[in-house]
Amino acid sequence: MKGQIDLKRKISPATRGSFITYGMVTAAFIVTQILVSTGRVSNMFQGLLVPFCVYSIAAVSLNLTVGILGELSLGQAGFMCVGAYTGAIFSLMTKDAITSAWVRFPLALLIGGLAAAIFGVLIGIPVLRLRGDYLAIVTLAFGEIIKNVFAALYIGTDSRGVHVSLTSQGDLGLEPDGKMIINGALGISGAPKDSTFVIGFVVLLLTLIVMYNFINSRTGRAVMSIRDNRIAAESIGLNITKYKLITFGLTAFLGGVAGSLFSHNLAVLQASKFDYNLSILILVFVVLGGIGSMRGSVIAAVVLTLLPEVLRSINNYRMLIYSVVLIVMMIFTSNATIRGFFAANFAKLKGVIIKNKPDTAKEGV
Amino acid sequence: MALLEVKNLGITFGGLHAVDGFSMSIEKGELYGLIGPNGAGKTTCFNLLTGVYKPTMGTIYLDGENITGKSTIDINKAGIARTFQNIRLFSNLSVIDNVKAGLTNNYRYSTATGVFRLPKFFKTEKLMNEKAHELLKVFGLDEESSTMAANLPYGKQRKLEIARALATDPKLLLLDEPAAGMNPNETAELMNTIRFVRDEFDMTVLLIEHDMSLVSGICERLSVLNFGQLLCQGKTSDVLSDPEVITAYLGE
Ligand SMILES: Nc1ncnc2c1ncn2[C@@H]1O[C@H](COP(=O)(O)OP(=O)(O)OP(=O)(O)O)[C@@H](O)[C@H]1O
Ligand SMILES: [Mg+2]
Repeated sequence: MKGQIDLKRKISPATRGSFITYGMVTAAFIVTQILVSTGRVSNMFQGLLVPFCVYSIAAVSLNLTVGILGELSLGQAGFMCVGAYTGAIFSLMTKDAITSAWVRFPLALLIGGLAAAIFGVLIGIPVLRLRGDYLAIVTLAFGEIIKNVFAALYIGTDSRGVHVSLTSQGDLGLEPDGKMIINGALGISGAPKDSTFVIGFVVLLLTLIVMYNFINSRTGRAVMSIRDNRIAAESIGLNITKYKLITFGLTAFLGGVAGSLFSHNLAVLQASKFDYNLSILILVFVVLGGIGSMRGSVIAAVVLTLLPEVLRSINNYRMLIYSVVLIVMMIFTSNATIRGFFAANFAKLKGVIIKNKPDTAKEGV
Repeated sequence: MALLEVKNLGITFGGLHAVDGFSMSIEKGELYGLIGPNGAGKTTCFNLLTGVYKPTMGTIYLDGENITGKSTIDINKAGIARTFQNIRLFSNLSVIDNVKAGLTNNYRYSTATGVFRLPKFFKTEKLMNEKAHELLKVFGLDEESSTMAANLPYGKQRKLEIARALATDPKLLLLDEPAAGMNPNETAELMNTIRFVRDEFDMTVLLIEHDMSLVSGICERLSVLNFGQLLCQGKTSDVLSDPEVITAYLGE
């Protein structure tokens, strides 16, 4: 109660920023839902709705490590892979026991997230103690190893229990009525397609709330202090390793949730999807959306997922337009001078329109 | 018993004895100055006291506790806070968040409490805001609490560093050239502020300074370093009239 009174009295810029993002995402969701229900949306676009959410969650959570902690991670696909597989395996095995998707799917998301978080912490404990770019190197290797392990993994169940092999399906020696769960490079098929746009939206919104609340808390402040000046952060007694681990663990957790959301949207889940290119793609969303800007990550993830699909019809110029958009976004989001220039002119323009003196408009810079 | 007891402290960087057998003892509540020509080893001394460098010899006792060789983090927890000669603020954080970062260890709630905005979050944040504003007021910074630290003028950045250090509630405050880059008016104001902090917060202060008006104005005792070694130690007026000290400063 006290907190609500506090908020009303003085809404901080950080709080306002977070609510703008929530509002924007919610509005986009509602408009899309209306368009879908009135049948104005193509099949192609409908097929992108869950991926929008998946990539947004993956990008926002990576932004926590890259933008708030200031460490480079090239392994987001690895955490998504862990989440995708554990979530899908959980759903496959409990499909008969838990019939309600409303119970089963949230659990699958949670389990996917937790499994990824365990890997995140295990990697983080040795690596985050080091200074420099070790995290980038190790996460890059982790992503590739995870992908290859899952691509070589065979798991099946029969009346005698669970069988695991890293060589071939035959090696499992399943009974005739046995069931394959993971079939090596062919992956997992038959996991329930529980992901919907509604659930994706809810998870994205929750992710954003967790993100903003984390950043605007005691822990988030400590993490950003470490990012800005490690030596000063030590001098005020901040436990560097602990805060780095919490942050990286949260990134891995939400990466895993995104992965689990992803795998429940696919008919067949294959490890090859979670390669190095996916990690780089997510990083591109983060960089182009603006390092440290959660809202930017969502916008970049949606725009850059949609764009290649929209441009399919003009195939010849597709990559050309795609790269021009990348460059324009980069200029807008990462160059302070140019951003200031546009902000100033925008403010002036506004001043002209509402007949203000240009002097007051300058404050918008 | 003295608050800070340094005995025979030393460190070498490849053959260079940056600090060489330095001893000093500071009483609780004292305003103590560490002076000496450029490159004498003053900042290195601070880095040894705060665990940035591990001493190659000697011992450091704070309030009876042996803190020799401890980490910077543990030394801050034991009660030493500092500022830096080359300012080290959290430049992308607001002024108040810089101070609140300093409050992190003394105003606690868990990460989950923060993420889920439990009642304890609001309660603790309110206390933190009050404490931070109280500290900012001491340094005349409370009007600028939401300014980004990097956008503060130089003199105010130095003050903010002191406020952040005080936020950790230390027993001993180390200031590395707090008046550097300040004009005489600002320096005079800073002297008052340092005295105020000592009196109001019951603080013990050790400061490095080249500005002799500040040193003679507020320091009760001095140690003079020269080439890493103690040249002279004692009451400020005695030390500043010592012929050896005068030649060390004017010599070469
Ligand atoms: N990390 C280091 N590695 C090598 N030499 C160092 C290191 N740190 C300091 N020194 C050397 O130790 C000596 C003392 O430096 P220090 O910074 O302590 O001087 P100072 O008394 O603070 O001088 P100033 O008044 O210019 O700040 C200098 O010769 C310096 O070059
Ligand atoms: Mg120095």
